[in-house]
Amino acid sequence: MRPAQIVEATLFASQSPLTPSELARADGSLTPEIVERSLGELREEYEKEDRAFQIYNLGDGYQILTRPEYAPYLERFDSVPRALGLSAAALETLAIIAYRQPMSRVDVEEIRGVGSTTVLHTLQEWEMIDVVGRGEGLGRPLLYGTTRRMLDHFGLRDLADLPRLEDLPVTLQVERTLEVPLEAPPEAEEPAEPEAPADAHQPATA
Amino acid sequence: MWREGDDLMVTVASSKPRPRDLLGPEPFVVDLERFSGPLDLLLHLIRSQDIDILDIPIARITSQFQAVLDEGIQQMDLDRAGEFLEMAATLIRIKVHLLLPRSGEIEWDEDPRAELVRRLLEYEHFQEISHVLSRAEGDRSRHFGKGFIPPRSESTTVERRIEFGIIDFMEAARRALERAAQRVHTAPLPGVSVREKIALVRRLIGKARRVAFRKLFEPWGTRQHAVAALLACLELARRQVIRVEQAGPFGPLFVLRGRRVSDPAQEET
Repeated sequence: MRPAQIVEATLFASQSPLTPSELARADGSLTPEIVERSLGELREEYEKEDRAFQIYNLGDGYQILTRPEYAPYLERFDSVPRALGLSAAALETLAIIAYRQPMSRVDVEEIRGVGSTTVLHTLQEWEMIDVVGRGEGLGRPLLYGTTRRMLDHFGLRDLADLPRLEDLPVTLQVERTLEVPLEAPPEAEEPAEPEAPADAHQPATA
Repeated sequence: MWREGDDLMVTVASSKPRPRDLLGPEPFVVDLERFSGPLDLLLHLIRSQDIDILDIPIARITSQFQAVLDEGIQQMDLDRAGEFLEMAATLIRIKVHLLLPRSGEIEWDEDPRAELVRRLLEYEHFQEISHVLSRAEGDRSRHFGKGFIPPRSESTTVERRIEFGIIDFMEAARRALERAAQRVHTAPLPGVSVREKIALVRRLIGKARRVAFRKLFEPWGTRQHAVAALLACLELARRQVIRVEQAGPFGPLFVLRGRRVSDPAQEET
């Protein structure tokens, strides 16, 4: 029996992702390194044989999941309509925490500009975030961070799978402070774009 | 705070007719409900009008923001309204700063709009991320793991429902009571001994493999006999001297021999 077969059997029997260390417990002969190699073998095999499933990396673990092409068939077995997913507000809040963790509720509210108590509760219920500590300052507020479950829910290997700041169309850094010389008195302010900055200065580059 | 001549490019979804002079050349409708907060709305106003975020025309944006708010604020709860009003106040404050005459000596270290721009860009960044997350969530939900299709329920009889109406129930109760109350007693009743019933059950079970429960009280007919018979059977069933069977809900009850051939409590009778 090859190690890969033992790994395969263990993966098959699991309903949630298993780490290489956890998989290695299946037999004394297995080490995490051997498990990783086996996983590679199995994935190649499944690819070549065009199996309906594949081994996916979720968080720090691996799980056998069906390939997305088969979703329409499996969805017919759905006896209960599944939740549509997180709301826009929840996703926004989760995005903030994912990049800036650990964060307190107040930190989150400063960025969003709106109260976030309810959203944070929702995210905790969904097990997307958890309390990871308390802040140093006044009131020692609770700090939140994302969970392993969150990675699983979004199919991410780790947070680094999320786009880096530079890859996004907008940027955070305003490299030069904006300068607006007010040569003209206020009444000259037009309905259209004010002329002043364009003339005397280059607009700040982003 | 808008002045005549300001472009007002925005009108709010509303059933009230808007005065014509407030509508700009291309009014578009804004539904306040769909914005998660004031930053969201501001960003929308800026991006949808292709305004350069690094050079926001504060006067125009402020009046548009206020116009939207005027229409929608009545429907908002207090907290949400407060958040939008705070932003309106911030915009006005920025506008005031920009209006202040600047003499030669006073150097601003920073454009009064800069802080707002930073907040908007930061917010927009996280909005982008939330879209990425939403797509990732969608992709992930097309993969299924072990256990998605739940196992078949083990018992096939579990879900049988008993369908009867109140009339049926009352009819059955009436029949049961009738059977038990056939005699009219004029004298004080002697109590019916459960012990005697136990002895009766034993005798009957000794002779026949199966005894109908109603045989235990029908000959006497009274409710007390029925109750004593029930208690006797419960006790004997507990001692495993008898078993009680019923073919279906509300069906007739039958008493059968139980596991213990000799009753450990026999001496009690």
